[in-house]
Amino acid sequence: MEAVEYFEVECPEKIGGDYYRRIADVVLLDHNLIRVVKKLHIFIDPRIPLFIGVGVTKRLPGVVRLMDFADVLIKEQKVTISIGDETYLAPLLKILWEQYGKENVEQPDRFTIILQIEGADMKSIEEIPVYDPRESIYKDLIYALQVIQPEGFKVRRQYYGGEKFYLVASEDTLPENIEEIVREKFSLMGESL
Amino acid sequence: MNLVPVTYKGGIYRHDEIRDLIEDLGGYIIQKHIIAQEVVLQALVPKEDIPLIAAIAKPLTGVIIPSPLVGTEIAVVSMSLEIHHLPHASCDVAEYIRRMGAKSNMVGLARGFGKRIAQLNDEERDVINEHDLAVYLLGDFETCIKQKFPVLRRGIEVPIIVCGGPSTETLREIIDPPVDGYVGNVGRFMHRTKESEELAKLDDVVDEITRVLDRKREGIAKDPPSVSPARLMDVINEQVDEIHEVLSPTPVTVQMTGLRVKLPYDTFARVLKDIPLEEGVTIGEVADIVPSRMRDYILVRIRPFSDTNIMV
Repeated sequence: MEAVEYFEVECPEKIGGDYYRRIADVVLLDHNLIRVVKKLHIFIDPRIPLFIGVGVTKRLPGVVRLMDFADVLIKEQKVTISIGDETYLAPLLKILWEQYGKENVEQPDRFTIILQIEGADMKSIEEIPVYDPRESIYKDLIYALQVIQPEGFKVRRQYYGGEKFYLVASEDTLPENIEEIVREKFSLMGESL
Repeated sequence: MNLVPVTYKGGIYRHDEIRDLIEDLGGYIIQKHIIAQEVVLQALVPKEDIPLIAAIAKPLTGVIIPSPLVGTEIAVVSMSLEIHHLPHASCDVAEYIRRMGAKSNMVGLARGFGKRIAQLNDEERDVINEHDLAVYLLGDFETCIKQKFPVLRRGIEVPIIVCGGPSTETLREIIDPPVDGYVGNVGRFMHRTKESEELAKLDDVVDEITRVLDRKREGIAKDPPSVSPARLMDVINEQVDEIHEVLSPTPVTVQMTGLRVKLPYDTFARVLKDIPLEEGVTIGEVADIVPSRMRDYILVRIRPFSDTNIMV
């Protein structure tokens, strides 16, 4: 957890807290989220019972565009796209099919896509947004927190946006002042919601 | 004849000699695994013949190791089958005791999670009671264990070993009335147990199981079953041809005072009941044959000598 700027587990039971520290560490590592999280504060009180996970993400990488991983070559009606990184191939194909129709998109091999279109503009093709990491990262973070939390806490409230996220969970109805408590936890990290 | 549980490990070459030897000496092979070129036999053998088997196995580079869990069926009770508990720690514990020779079954509770909402239903209770021993794998918080454990143990008659995050002493303090065994510092964790410290914890679980089972064995020895379960397994394997068509790893699972026969109850209960053991004594006379709550299996509960006055 060295990569994370702030990481605390607050728990009235010391031994339980220590275990959850390790659990959180392993889960974030397994889900490949260590590089994304900047600050994380976990509060567990098994007596209430209540679980709160609040955090701040690092600046996320921007939208991946076609030119970031492929080269485009236009020759009259034929547009050849040479793929450098296959990671984004599937979402790219989906976009191209939607935009130009399946009959105009050919894929002779894994690393080449040929479009048969008229009047193609190099710039507009290169600028096609293919993948936005921000869309899925928060979902992944909330999912990871659900894995970290003690099982059986079925009443949940979650929030993400603006580089901040939280998950509150309990077995019983959440306390009325839950947002206040969450704000308190954010302030412990020197942040405000 | 005092039979002791052992594991034999050796090459596949001439291993049938060892198998024949164990059978000739009056022992029973409970389970046989062939893994690539290696053979693992889990067997009950006469105590005084162990040096003889070891001597015969030596030129075949086979070893014989005592493994006290052979011939037992153990329930590993996990609070749920969610990612929170699987594959670590539940599978790690189940697999480790399986390596020590026990037949372990994992019982994933439908609603075992949570503090206030934890429940145990009648099917789970009955399935756990069909085993020789239950290992409960609980969570990390003593507050939760204290509140939920009384609910989870309701109606369980087999010895219970509680594993949980708090220390062994804390577990001992918070569980009332006491259970048969406690292993602390084995709570919820989400990584594979591979460091020596963690493996030592799994060894602690095995030691505690061995201790509790030894005590149970002492109790059984005072009023032994009318027929040894291993012998009964042999008889069933000989007399019921259909058992060889069952694809489970252990078509007949040996327990300390009974057997689980993995054949449908409706068709085979009568067949089993009428199998002669010797000189006019049938299985039905020395054992209760009841339907198991696990699938449609048959559970054979051997009655003690004091009940039947027959010793086969």
